[in-house]
Amino acid sequence: MAIIDILNAVVEFDKVAVVENVKNAINSKTPIDDILNKGLIEAMDVVGEKFSSGEVFVPEMLQAAKAMQAGLEILKPHLTGDAMIAKGTVIIGTVKGDLHDIGKNLVTMMVEGAGFNVVDLGVDVDTDKFISEAQAHDADVVCLSALLTTTMPIMAKTVEAFKEAGLKAKTIIGGAPVTDAYAQQIGADGFSDNAPGAVELIRKLVAA
Amino acid sequence: MNAKERMGAAINLKPVDKIPNAPFTEAPVCQYFGSTFKAALLEGPQMLAAHMKSLEEFKFDWVMLGMGYIGGIIPEALDCQVSFPEDVFPIIEKTSIFSMADVEKIAEKDMFTKRMESFLDGVRLLKKELKGEVPIACEYISPFTIATRLRGTNEIMMDMYDNPELVHALQEAIVPLDIAMGKALIDAGVDYIFYGADMECPILLSPKHYKEFVHEPTTKVCNELSRLGAKVLPHMCGDIVKTGIVDMLLEMDIHGIMPGNLTQEKVLDIRQLKEKVEDRICIFDNINPNGPLLIGKPEEVTKETLVHLNRAKGMSGYIFSTAGTSSPFTPKENYLAMDREVINFQWK
Repeated sequence: MAIIDILNAVVEFDKVAVVENVKNAINSKTPIDDILNKGLIEAMDVVGEKFSSGEVFVPEMLQAAKAMQAGLEILKPHLTGDAMIAKGTVIIGTVKGDLHDIGKNLVTMMVEGAGFNVVDLGVDVDTDKFISEAQAHDADVVCLSALLTTTMPIMAKTVEAFKEAGLKAKTIIGGAPVTDAYAQQIGADGFSDNAPGAVELIRKLVAA
Repeated sequence: MNAKERMGAAINLKPVDKIPNAPFTEAPVCQYFGSTFKAALLEGPQMLAAHMKSLEEFKFDWVMLGMGYIGGIIPEALDCQVSFPEDVFPIIEKTSIFSMADVEKIAEKDMFTKRMESFLDGVRLLKKELKGEVPIACEYISPFTIATRLRGTNEIMMDMYDNPELVHALQEAIVPLDIAMGKALIDAGVDYIFYGADMECPILLSPKHYKEFVHEPTTKVCNELSRLGAKVLPHMCGDIVKTGIVDMLLEMDIHGIMPGNLTQEKVLDIRQLKEKVEDRICIFDNINPNGPLLIGKPEEVTKETLVHLNRAKGMSGYIFSTAGTSSPFTPKENYLAMDREVINFQWK
């Protein structure tokens, strides 16, 4: 079974084909790392690019992520060694007072798909919770999401609290009203206006 | 011209004496002049006091209401568990639609809760006080966006493939309720329905899905509100021209459009939109409320405002606005800087 078939099945969000192709690849002794990295993870990169270029939209991304996760479930019992090690730990949540989760969920799926361990704190998350969870999980990156202009200032407060706490975690922000200029103003370590961009940013920050 | 005449002229693509100035002011107005954010969003006397003081100082050409209405009152009336904090938007703590059986219950709901009546009382008070000289606009939400509030955004987006019948049925149940709420707003004195289509915009949904799931319920609601006498003004993010969404919007009885993306300049220039809609409907401009207006200095706000005004100079049916709600934390001096440029701009 060719890796490309796994990748294509995820991109076409054909969950049944993903599961079947992953099983076949395992049975035909395809390296597990290749199934994971060149099949499932790379597929989500392709989906992210298609989202950025307007070829696919949120429902299709959600379906692709679901298909990828189905493949990952088949693969999990076979993961050993380096393949089992997450590329880093990312804490994510929508800030206090904001219940919007679609952007956060897209980022979560894309970042998980890229091989990171993601702790999703959900919505309406206060600053203390971000700090305590980042400490508890020894997070590399903390992602703050907001859709409302009214809740953006909570981001500033949270970023400041992270600096005061002296944690190693980098803070990045995103969401429809958020801009790069705002990220710079509040001292965040990065900004992305879309989910694939967030993945790239996290990769860079973790590698740095 | 008074504010009502000026806005009316622009919406009807007639000449104006100066640019209509209609930003989304509710949140900063609450902050500058309200007793608390919550009270100024939801309770009649405080709403009235905040908006009247705001008109006196800023001379806006409309009063814009509805953040608490769309964010909290509607979901609460439709069985969501909603909290109403003092200093931020209402929060949906728990959604209400988990199955088709829940959809059937929604259809029987009485929307006119105590909180809804209190909000409508606020509209009536304002209408009386404004003496017909300043129009009232109210934010409003589409059946699809209400559906995402009731069911959860991710769930609805997944349902579009996994359970499309539920998406259709839920919107079908919401349409008559949405129309009833619109009628109540119009009866209370709302002149302009600012039709928020947040969750079906072409950043999130494909044009194919828009047509399949959204177009029909949206058409029913917009056409009926228009028939009832409101000016219907859809607000939608993304490139509505390239994706063809604007063509579908133009099939409806609408009177204007706000291409509301917060990063609009990267997505769609209003001149492109004007070429498309010609003189059929008016266009609300979309200065980014989270750019210099929120985080810059007054001189930066002035500069950005002038970019927008100069780009639109001479355009028929043009109304200056922000691309959505301004933050309550917007510095007042920045708002005043924007306001000053719009009021003093030499339009001709």
